[in-house]
Amino acid sequence: MVTKKFVIKRLAVCVSTIFIVIVLNFMLFRVMPANPVDILLSPDVGQLSASIRMEVREEMIKSLGLDKPLWMQFVRYLGDVFKGNFGESFRTHRKVLSMISERVANTIVLMLSANILSILMAIGLGVVAAWKRGTKTDITSLIFALIFTSMPMFWVGGIIILVFAVRLDLFPMFGTTTVGLEHSNMFAYLSDYLRHLFLPMITMTLVSFGGLLLIVRSALLDVFSEDYILTARAIGLKDRTIIFKNALNNAMLPLITIIAINLGFMIGGSLLTETVFSWPGLGLTIYEAVMYRDYPVLQGTFLIITIIVVIANFLAEIVYGYADPRVRSGA
Amino acid sequence: MSMERLNLYTKRLKGFINQYKESKLGIIGLIILSIFIFISVFANYLSDYSIKATEGDLSAQFEPPSYKHWLGTDDVGRDLFTQIMYGGRISLLIGFLAAAISGGFGTLVGLFAGYFGGWREDILMRITDIVLVIPGLPLMIVLSALLGSSFWNIIFVISIIGWTGTARVVRAQVLSLKERPFIESTRVIGAGDLRIIGLHLLPNVFPLIVAQMVLRIGSAILAEASLSFLGLGDPMSVSWGMILHWAFTTGALFSNYWWFLLPPGICITLVVLGFTFVGYALDQIVNPRIRRR
Repeated sequence: MVTKKFVIKRLAVCVSTIFIVIVLNFMLFRVMPANPVDILLSPDVGQLSASIRMEVREEMIKSLGLDKPLWMQFVRYLGDVFKGNFGESFRTHRKVLSMISERVANTIVLMLSANILSILMAIGLGVVAAWKRGTKTDITSLIFALIFTSMPMFWVGGIIILVFAVRLDLFPMFGTTTVGLEHSNMFAYLSDYLRHLFLPMITMTLVSFGGLLLIVRSALLDVFSEDYILTARAIGLKDRTIIFKNALNNAMLPLITIIAINLGFMIGGSLLTETVFSWPGLGLTIYEAVMYRDYPVLQGTFLIITIIVVIANFLAEIVYGYADPRVRSGA
Repeated sequence: MSMERLNLYTKRLKGFINQYKESKLGIIGLIILSIFIFISVFANYLSDYSIKATEGDLSAQFEPPSYKHWLGTDDVGRDLFTQIMYGGRISLLIGFLAAAISGGFGTLVGLFAGYFGGWREDILMRITDIVLVIPGLPLMIVLSALLGSSFWNIIFVISIIGWTGTARVVRAQVLSLKERPFIESTRVIGAGDLRIIGLHLLPNVFPLIVAQMVLRIGSAILAEASLSFLGLGDPMSVSWGMILHWAFTTGALFSNYWWFLLPPGICITLVVLGFTFVGYALDQIVNPRIRRR
């Protein structure tokens, strides 16, 4: 059992991190060079006369609470965040939260599928590499892993589009479903969605499995040098039994932490991949917000993404705590 | 410097070179990097074409590779091979500077946290943990969107998240170093904190820092490319990422202009790979925590 103290301690760290992230997010968008009111005003009220402009401006400053002292603005912001009120998009004038919530599922599907695929690849190749340590197989897989992790993810996506969507015309190149297509039933919709998912998923997997492979391999090498594995080999257990029954179980521990740490990287990756494939998730939302300088959307999406990552890290630590008895007593 | 010291250093250097020569990957990495650094440094002697957007040959837009244009031309008829050579300058320079700044800052944090311990260490390491958990690319995007894109802003934005790894490695090393007798004895003689940190700890962690920095250069180059691709690069200083940004925005993808898309990405991949190889080779030699495998 994980002790209560361990969970509470981790939870406190998690909550304080989220609080600091909220403060940071508030401060960042206060120090930006342009005043938010001016940005809001420029496109819509450009034609109005100067005096009306001033009036609208003052009105706006009041309604946004920008005339209050900074700490009162922060208290207000904090309240809004807890109510899920992230303001309105400058561009579409829709609520930021509803824009995020209709797109978050696409990001989760993309990240989860790519993550699972790259973990499977990393474990499969990592086991072979570690078991055949120092051979050609090992070195080839290591070099391939390093080459793929050195590639810019958006560029890999571009090449995959060029080859598989433009030249070979095997897969669609953007979106989640075919534009204008009426799906006759759930199954038709699903298969269309999966066909669209395939290329972005492969892109993310190719670039991210390498890093995981290196970790699986080195974790396994650590385990292989333990006495009980040597014993298992000595008493004549089959390689396969040793790897899957003994070694892999123990090598999973570092993998859990790495996947959690990797989450930030995967978020960055999905951001780039979504932009390349116009996959309507949180990453594309951030890209569009940057393009149109839509600060409320940028601020809200950044906060949500960061909080998700912090919570995922917290959960990983708890899982790690359950799996590894040393952590429980040590913390 | 006394003769004795000089001899010691040359001996150490020779030992280091011998160890480095054993690493095949390290040698390959070094060769790749030398080629790219040479080409970037001497770009203006290696090509007669201009990279200014106004000086492109508008009668030769999107031309495929030929004898005249080895890697074809872009949307305003500029020679892409020339652009790639100049682009290497910016990409490498941003990589070097960002790695140096974040490495320097990480070293300071690691040295002070490890040496002083106590509440100072707690605060510094908590900050490190928080920066580590914030997703890097989204933070870089938000910062560059708010600060505006310029050469130095991009370097600042990349550096601000890149120092955590170095800080952790340096701190761990300092923790074990400060228990050693030679540090104890300097303290007994009455050396001040700054003197111990600067004269005794820093030289001992320095090789480790260099290895860390080399590894960081690659990720800084990738980060710059990603920011440029997203339209947050500095249009005045054209990097490989910026060329790719143009390739994407001018529709090279859908028009099958592969010569516009492939080479910049290959350059980025090779250079990042080169730094990774060299970094690993160095790390194998200088990092006491890595066992040879």
